[in-house]
Amino acid sequence: MVKFGIEFAPHEPYWKIVYYAVQAEKGGFSNLWITDHFNDRNVYVTLTAAAIYTNKITFGPGVTNPYLVNPVFTAQAIATLNELAPGRVVLGMGAGDKTTLESVGVEMQKPLIAIQEAVDIFRKITSGENVVYKGEVFKTAGAKFLFKPKGGIPVYIGAQGPKMLELAGKIGDGVLINASHPKDVEYAVNCVKEGVRQANKKIAEVDVAGYPAFSVHEDLKKATKAAVPVVSFIVASSPSVLLERHGIDVKKAEEIREALKANDWGKAFGAVTPEMIEAFSVCGTPDTCIERIAQLLKSGISQFVVGSPIGSNVREAIKLISEKIIPSFKATP
Amino acid sequence: MDYRKLVETIPVAKREQLSNKLVDLILSSKNDEKMPSQLANTMLHHWQNDILLSESGLTALLEAAALLEPEKAIETFTALELTGIAEQIRQGATKT
Repeated sequence: MVKFGIEFAPHEPYWKIVYYAVQAEKGGFSNLWITDHFNDRNVYVTLTAAAIYTNKITFGPGVTNPYLVNPVFTAQAIATLNELAPGRVVLGMGAGDKTTLESVGVEMQKPLIAIQEAVDIFRKITSGENVVYKGEVFKTAGAKFLFKPKGGIPVYIGAQGPKMLELAGKIGDGVLINASHPKDVEYAVNCVKEGVRQANKKIAEVDVAGYPAFSVHEDLKKATKAAVPVVSFIVASSPSVLLERHGIDVKKAEEIREALKANDWGKAFGAVTPEMIEAFSVCGTPDTCIERIAQLLKSGISQFVVGSPIGSNVREAIKLISEKIIPSFKATP
Repeated sequence: MDYRKLVETIPVAKREQLSNKLVDLILSSKNDEKMPSQLANTMLHHWQNDILLSESGLTALLEAAALLEPEKAIETFTALELTGIAEQIRQGATKT
């Protein structure tokens, strides 16, 4: 059966996120993902609060990166969380966002190698090993926890490009695909499958999570209105090749990019077209969303993560997903 | 203001609707900084254990709503014909 996950960014205070996390758990979601950005509240503090007030939902950073937080410290945080909520913790790790990293003076060097090495170090140290590691990006000269970690924590790789998707299939227990359209998801899943093949694994051993911008409301206009700001940012950061694949005018995208840079929200949001919403979000009434999620399942995902904005009213949206969307997939094998 | 005593005056039949409206009001508030963490934790504890409708749960919601959104809380209680509580919140808001 398909799993449903939900994502929150801790620019909201911990108590709002925890309220929604508890609601999501009661409503049938199986995974909670908290984003990790240096300019938001801390991901692990937020996850700790969520761990305390929930009982069964699986949770983790979605995703952290190894450049801002050394993998040894990520392992320490995750291993400690795994003591607080044994068996409910996963790690989501990705290369991060180049612009954000640059804003704090950190270079995104050799992302594929960095992720491979970070995951390697994470797995070794959380298995209780004394890690002597001489990688190209990361080195440890004998790193061992003074406590006994409970190992076997699943690692999900956040991936977009073909090589990272392939690596995710190869080394990940799961992959988080930041895409909304069935065409993009299908392409991504094929890349993951290639990595799975190289590692002599089966695709069923990897939890393939689709992680799109999502907005649901009984009123289509309200669902769309909530999705527009998020879609404008996705369009602005998308490469031309991706825009062209969806028949989106590259000049229009450039207009949005410039308007966002100038903080002209009205112009940026006003330039978002229905084609952009269609390409870069799962948005609409519950029935529309069910149809779209079903298409994504056919493209090969095993977890559907409801990403920001979720809806114009998050509490109402979680209620709609729990009562109308999740039950319609209960019978899906 | 003794929030617990105010809650005791709320008819049981109105508690579910009131609880829903207060939760919406609190979650949609932009005045996050006014929420004391102890009160937030009390609210979360009641939510986790499905006891937000209890008198202690409603007391936490009422206190949070009055702190974060006094004007909207007054409107909510007035709309539910709980004018005595609306008046108490108004007086409390005036004092602070």
